[in-house]
Amino acid sequence: MTDMSPFDHRQDAELGRALQRALTAPNDAAFVRRVLAAADQVYGDVAPGQWWTVLTAWARPGLVAAMLVVAAAAFWLGLWVGSRGPGSSMATFTDPLQTESEQLSVPALLVEDGAPTVDVVLAVAMGR
Amino acid sequence: MEPPPGVTCGGPWTLGSEIQRVPPPVRKDHMQDAELAALAQAGDREAFGELVRRHAAQARRIARVILGDSEDADDAAQDGFLAALRHIGRFDPSRPFGPWLLKIVANAAADRRRRRKVRHAEPLAPHLATGGDAPDRSADLSALNAALKQALAQLPERQRMAVVLFDAEGYSHREIGEVLGIPEGTVRSDVFHARRTLREALATWEEWRKETS
Repeated sequence: MTDMSPFDHRQDAELGRALQRALTAPNDAAFVRRVLAAADQVYGDVAPGQWWTVLTAWARPGLVAAMLVVAAAAFWLGLWVGSRGPGSSMATFTDPLQTESEQLSVPALLVEDGAPTVDVVLAVAMGR
Repeated sequence: MEPPPGVTCGGPWTLGSEIQRVPPPVRKDHMQDAELAALAQAGDREAFGELVRRHAAQARRIARVILGDSEDADDAAQDGFLAALRHIGRFDPSRPFGPWLLKIVANAAADRRRRRKVRHAEPLAPHLATGGDAPDRSADLSALNAALKQALAQLPERQRMAVVLFDAEGYSHREIGEVLGIPEGTVRSDVFHARRTLREALATWEEWRKETS
């Protein structure tokens, strides 16, 4: 060991060499070969170019992106519909009936000569 | 067709609208760790092999610090390399590769130790344990190694890691803090306490060395 202070912020080269010597295992080359043989298996598991691997990698972000697009579209549609309000001139299937109901009333039906049609009765009822 | 002035013949040439020098392929052993990591991520097995060759000794030592002398240490080091390969996309190329790898190796070793639940240390060399006759010179190094291993085994694991990473592997306090997940000041303290313990434990060996040198 050296006479360096334990507080010294520099490496103790002599202690370092002794620790390296004590801890270094023999035959690094065999270890490297062993790791690389095992790594082949890992590379085989995630070999690039396999279409299902690529699709799997894309699936999760793709789903998240699609959900975000749908949410944004729904939000925008809600704002657009809301901005038109209930009195907007948006055409609906009940518009002809509402038009009829504005022109007719129950007393008017009672004084009419002929029997009203089903459409007229329905329009009056909806107007109420 | 003559090559341009200043360019010697004999190199690889391609013919096109003009003569172009084809740069020779960069040798893997000349590349930086970050370049090799990027290539390994892209599927280049040679690049990963070069990374393993560069860091094998260090990774094995760190695994031995945690697990002691056993085949488990090499198994853990291998686990660490393979885990690093699987997650190499998470490596930040702006930071050094060594601490990132050693953190993975240390985690792999700690996992193995938890599974094993048995910790053993090599027995102290007989002359150190009993205070008997000094060893002859041929046994000098092995006696020192045995004494060091015994002293290391008596240290808490974090101090062991800190002193080996600092003095044997040459990492800075900041890098060791990243590996161990502790503040830099704690690393300094651990290195200090570990050095003190190692020196006390090795006093017998030192006295003998001074007498014989």
